[in-house]
Amino acid sequence: METGHIHPISSLIREANRIFSDMGFTFAEGPLLESEWYNFDSLNVPKDHPARDMQDTFFIKDEPGYVLRTHTSPVQVRYMEAQAKAGIEPPYRVIVPGKVFRNEATDMTHEAEFFQIEGLAVGEDVTLANLKGTLARFFKELFKDASVEIRFRPSFFPFTEPSVEVDMRLVGDNVPDKLRDKWIEMMGAGMVHPSVLKNAGIDSAKYKGFAFGMGLDRLALLRWGIDDVRHMHSADLRFINQF
Amino acid sequence: MKISRNWLQTFFNDPLPEAAAIGDALTFHAFEIESIEAHGEDSIFDVKVTANRGHDCLSHRGIAKELAAILMLPMKGDPLRVNINLDPKTDAVAVSIAEPTLCRRYVAGYIRGVKVGPSPEWLQKALESVGQRSINNIVDATNFVMFNLGQPLHAFDAAQLTRNQQGDALLVPGYSIEVRKAKDGEKMVALDDKEYTLDSRALVIVDGNTDIPIGIAGVKGGKPAGISEKTTDIIIESANFDGVTTRRTAAALKLRTDASSRFEQVISPELAGFGMYAVANLIIELAGGETVGFVDAYPVVAEKKQAEVTTEFVNAVLGTELQDTDIEGALTRLDLTHMQDGSRFAVNVPFERLDIALPEDLVEEVARIAGYDKISAIELQPLSDDVLVNANFFAAEQAREKLTAEGYSEVFTSVFSEKGERVVVNKVDGVRPYLRSNLTDGLQQAMLKNLSNKELLGLKEVKLFEIGTVWGVKEERMNIATLVGSQKSAKPNVKEWKGTETELTPISATEYENLPVSSAVRYKTFSKYPFIVRDIALWTPAGTSADDVLTVIRTHAGELLVRSELFDQFEKGGRVSYGVRLVFQSFDKTLTDGDANERMESVYIAVKAKGWEVR
Repeated sequence: METGHIHPISSLIREANRIFSDMGFTFAEGPLLESEWYNFDSLNVPKDHPARDMQDTFFIKDEPGYVLRTHTSPVQVRYMEAQAKAGIEPPYRVIVPGKVFRNEATDMTHEAEFFQIEGLAVGEDVTLANLKGTLARFFKELFKDASVEIRFRPSFFPFTEPSVEVDMRLVGDNVPDKLRDKWIEMMGAGMVHPSVLKNAGIDSAKYKGFAFGMGLDRLALLRWGIDDVRHMHSADLRFINQF
Repeated sequence: MKISRNWLQTFFNDPLPEAAAIGDALTFHAFEIESIEAHGEDSIFDVKVTANRGHDCLSHRGIAKELAAILMLPMKGDPLRVNINLDPKTDAVAVSIAEPTLCRRYVAGYIRGVKVGPSPEWLQKALESVGQRSINNIVDATNFVMFNLGQPLHAFDAAQLTRNQQGDALLVPGYSIEVRKAKDGEKMVALDDKEYTLDSRALVIVDGNTDIPIGIAGVKGGKPAGISEKTTDIIIESANFDGVTTRRTAAALKLRTDASSRFEQVISPELAGFGMYAVANLIIELAGGETVGFVDAYPVVAEKKQAEVTTEFVNAVLGTELQDTDIEGALTRLDLTHMQDGSRFAVNVPFERLDIALPEDLVEEVARIAGYDKISAIELQPLSDDVLVNANFFAAEQAREKLTAEGYSEVFTSVFSEKGERVVVNKVDGVRPYLRSNLTDGLQQAMLKNLSNKELLGLKEVKLFEIGTVWGVKEERMNIATLVGSQKSAKPNVKEWKGTETELTPISATEYENLPVSSAVRYKTFSKYPFIVRDIALWTPAGTSADDVLTVIRTHAGELLVRSELFDQFEKGGRVSYGVRLVFQSFDKTLTDGDANERMESVYIAVKAKGWEVR
């Protein structure tokens, strides 16, 4: 009998978990229907921030204060808070792969529901250089046949300070033409904002952390040269059975 | 935001580098550049100013300041660092602010005897370079100063305002400007000739002597008091309006303007003074006239702020080995004046840098000026404790392994559904607003779609599974569902399908299993056109292998053959019968029966030539 296929996103999550697990990262989860506190306020996104306007976020009828999470970052605060309450001090290292939502019309590059992977490392001596080292190793192991370069550019997110955009470049003969020698924007990242640590009950004078959030659909598109992000939720075996 | 290279050059004596080099300097040390376009001898950058720098960088001065720091080019003079005086004062115009938290400052400047006319060529060109239409010298001056310094400005025709006749009317015109909340339903025709209906959340500028709106605060000026060719006396507004109020009003009126997009980012009330100083001087230069005086309503002066950082802290955050001199250098390049005590730096935060308060904010300033390329890639220290296994993920992975071994493929269907227990109130596309309460409904939809492709997929039956979130009345849970479907008659029949759906049970484990990942290298696009299935059955002499048969068929079926496989084989009377299924499909068009017949004809000829008998 012919065997079936796992979804390419599942394959990516499996691979990412293996790579990050080797670096000490635990797989963590959180609810998709999330409170505004965890999704916004605790992450230093003020009440009047444009991202909280109706047009970007899905709100639920008769459940004020709740949204479909717009990113995997709320699990940062949830995880740290749970650890702190359980009396477990940092170091903490988690990855959070999962579904997130944006209230927008879909096209070849935009989906209203898509997958992200969040990363968080908190400790007494975690630095931005560690973020670079961690991501460099992740991409090196993911794109085995290529040599990988990572670079940072300045950026802004309310929940990190400093904030950076992370670009990746693949070099090597085995790299597909479309990707070879090109800088590709991969994710937003940075050092966890002290307010976020405080909101999770972590002593921000003692501990620091890095965090990143990367789109898994986009990573899959790049990895396999997929032409339309809508395939991810098409449930079409003409697509899935290729993986 | 559009930024002109020529305009930037006005801030420097030394020539700026080429556009591409400026683009790189900004990209790696300040802001993303969306595009660089040639505009005659100028280059126009589309700079994506981040939300934390909307306070100080939505202007040519702001970007020039960044370039000065990044490229270490001295500025000719920083218009926000000069001593300004808004003299003389006048009581010819009264300003009152009814909402001092929403309007922290209102500076009015009264100039008499201007000559409205076309702007000089340099000004017209400058405005055109950033996509603005030249209107007249007065309006252009206010726009120029906004794009130059970031302070939105507005000019009213004083003659269109009402004078208070009490008092000495000859010496004191008695103009009155008031900032108050709009009344619900209050209307105003704006400069774009459209009538806007306001509500009490909006802030308006009114003629204090008539209480009639002459401007929507921070958004747009009113038509009646607009500048015309006949204007001779003007009252200029350089004010500070609340960000949230301005954004809400602009959004509600669908009237986002260059002014509102600056106020909504929040700017310092200090800037209003510099804006007025610059625009009054420019107007006198361009249109003549005489400054009667200024009124500065500024109830609570913005506090001066300090921020501190140490070299040790910078290095602890960045993982670098920067020296005191590196920190000192970066702060100096950024014009962040400071007191240094060994490795401790106390920065006097410039009024326009509302983004700087915490040590971390200064770390970012140092990092981007020193350059993020200076940060090494250093792996985390290994942890002493084992990584905990996530019981839900472990269970999901086990299920994936078991189900794929049984021929099931994994799909992700949408969480949005036509029915469910909970509903999204604001879905932009309006369809399927419910959160699904089960996976099976989605799987059934997926089954219908996939069944029609089963020949193309080479499947007798379609086996699907999904592991995903579903929502009950109160709770959210992870379910796992399977569905097996086949199609025996012309129409698919859901009753013939078999499925299961249960909640995923977590499994405790101490270690993840080493499960296979996809070995796919590149995804291949599939055709969007329908396919055609044809079967062929053959008698062949004993000893003819299936491979022999398939090779002949594949060689002669042509390039439209996308799948071919054996579906039947038996021996009888010393001969072997083979049944082969062929699937034809084109990337360019819907195939006709004729197209398929033509290919089958070639196959028939080839197999007959082999001496095989078509059954």
